[in-house]
Amino acid sequence: MASNPVIRGLYQAANSSASCPALVTTLNGNILVNHSDEQGEILFAPAGDYQFGDAVPGLPVELIFADGSRFIPDDSRLRWQQLGHKPGMIEWLERHWSAVLAATLLVPAFMWLMITQVIPAGSNAVAGLLPDAVAQQLGSQSLAIIDRTYMNPSELSDTEQQAISQRWQHLLTTLNIPPENYRLEFRSWSGGPNAMALPDGTVIVTDSIARLMAQQPEQLDAVLLHEIGHVEHKHSLKILSQTTAMSLMFTMMFGDVEGLGEVLLGAGTSFAQASFSRDMESDADQFAFKELQTIGRTPQDFADAMKTLAQHYQPDAELAAGEEKSLFDYLRSHPATAERIAAAEALAKEMLQ
Amino acid sequence: MSPTELPVPNTAATSTRTATVEFSGQKGEYAKLWLVNLLLSIITLGIYSAWAKVRNNQYLYGHTQIEGHRFQYLAQPMQILRGRIIAVLVFVAYSLASSFNPALAAVMMLALIALFPWLIIQGLKFTLRKSAYRGVRFSFEASYWAIVGYFFLLPLLGMVTFGLAMPWVAQKTQKYLYENATYGGKPFSVPTSAAEYYKAVLMCLGAVVLLMAAIFVIVFTFSMTSVLIGDASNPLTQKGMAGAGMVIGAAVYFFAIYLLSAIYQGVIRNHLFNCLHINGVFHAHSAIRILPFAVLMMSNALLLICTLGLAFPVTVVRKQRFLAAATSFTLEPGIDHLVNTVPETHSAFGEEAAGLFDADLSLT
Repeated sequence: MASNPVIRGLYQAANSSASCPALVTTLNGNILVNHSDEQGEILFAPAGDYQFGDAVPGLPVELIFADGSRFIPDDSRLRWQQLGHKPGMIEWLERHWSAVLAATLLVPAFMWLMITQVIPAGSNAVAGLLPDAVAQQLGSQSLAIIDRTYMNPSELSDTEQQAISQRWQHLLTTLNIPPENYRLEFRSWSGGPNAMALPDGTVIVTDSIARLMAQQPEQLDAVLLHEIGHVEHKHSLKILSQTTAMSLMFTMMFGDVEGLGEVLLGAGTSFAQASFSRDMESDADQFAFKELQTIGRTPQDFADAMKTLAQHYQPDAELAAGEEKSLFDYLRSHPATAERIAAAEALAKEMLQ
Repeated sequence: MSPTELPVPNTAATSTRTATVEFSGQKGEYAKLWLVNLLLSIITLGIYSAWAKVRNNQYLYGHTQIEGHRFQYLAQPMQILRGRIIAVLVFVAYSLASSFNPALAAVMMLALIALFPWLIIQGLKFTLRKSAYRGVRFSFEASYWAIVGYFFLLPLLGMVTFGLAMPWVAQKTQKYLYENATYGGKPFSVPTSAAEYYKAVLMCLGAVVLLMAAIFVIVFTFSMTSVLIGDASNPLTQKGMAGAGMVIGAAVYFFAIYLLSAIYQGVIRNHLFNCLHINGVFHAHSAIRILPFAVLMMSNALLLICTLGLAFPVTVVRKQRFLAAATSFTLEPGIDHLVNTVPETHSAFGEEAAGLFDADLSLT
């Protein structure tokens, strides 16, 4: 290799603020640093005795010598090809709009894969691995919080409670579900007719749903089966691990980004959570449909229960299937009521044939 | 000749001289760097963000020069990544604890609060130790209890006095932070005065009064005009006029936010920098003009809003250029004879944990 042209720059001493203009000559990978005013040699570094600084767009690549002193070329485009140095992959990406464009297309695809496939599968696996004690702890804590904040002791009479408890026991024994895994609780709630399942198998029935369905106990059975479905599928644990994984993912991805981060963080997480939640409601519905058949009834009970609830909450609304379908479906935490009724009725009809 | 025994003669002037700050970063160039690093961070689930942080800082530091010497950002991505992993583990442990065992979570919270002053110190220490100019690093030392005093007790005093003591508290706190930073082992001196902080607040209050008067005049004019031309026969004109009044009111409000922060930040930054010095080494000067500063802040905010935050790198370059142009230094002979006193190793946990728990703070 022939001698290369002289390179101008600044020699910066190690560990002190002293520096001076310098000239670098390269020969076969060896480096000679001279004073620029021809006062002689500053240092000679044989090949392998120096390193290259990081290549940053618009900035020169420095030579770093063994003692920590540096040579900083004046030419900000200098990348030391004459010493066989290859500019890094990263700087190449940072210099090209095509890389930006490619990555812009990759990011949404990647996020979609994470949100719809990787995280749900991962958190379902984690939920399956969590010990039973976790579910117990979560359940008793949730119940304590519910009791302290928004629900009151039930005002149902003992006979009313007993009627429901008996049907509940009957359900569990018919379905061969170990009764010690489940517990039925009655609460008075100002929010209206509702039932909910806690991760430890506690199912809460509100006074108003008990009274609303007192004359049609088979509808309440369908609702209870739906709640049992949530517990059997470990939905609370899945939601917990999914939310944790999601918020962690978004924080890690966008935590560094100012401006953009806040918006995406909020929107992305709630968007994805609504979608999980809808899938889980459908799973619980399916469980109810199947077990209704096991106890010799049909999904029509579930359809009727949904109708009763819909009638209570929106007495004037038409419930034709498909009518409500809109963009908002993606924002709902539950599937549209009309769809759930239609699904149950379709299945019920199928069984009759 | 071995390089270690070589006394490098400094051919740069060894006398006292004045130097400007040059910022050579380009909007498009930095936008590409920022975007590529952002996207790589996303695709690697945030692991690359440690490298991204280093790349961004290398660019911004390296493009800032005084007398032809570039600033250097010297942190290693692995140090930052280690810190982030620990911080994430703490975060996961905390969120799991708050779901399963609130008592444990409360204990963890208390421990984190107790750690907070330490995190503040570690964060500043890490950032400054990884910053160098002319091969000489900055550093920071502070005592735990002093931070407790400045960040927890003094603000309480500010609250007790209904905010009247707040400018004084801000002055004391900033003075403490700056004077515990060192360059080449020599501490900064920042003989700021609380009077300037009160002046900044009074200027903001004056601006508020003027703006209120302006809003009143505008609203009054519009409602009068709507009454005069838009009579009852034409409700549309009335609505239009009232609407225009609303739009203008909102614009004035938007303008006011940035005008006020430009006044406060500009006055305080000028005062701090004009006080900032190390005897025999340098004196800093800052001459930010308030109105152009307010216009810069406003246009940056508009850019961010209109691009959903994507214009962030452009706003950074615009701000750095503006600040660099407003800053200069008187350099004294001592600057040419500094010795680096900071060894290489230092953990990044403090800084990263501070960042993850939103405890970040910076020396403007």
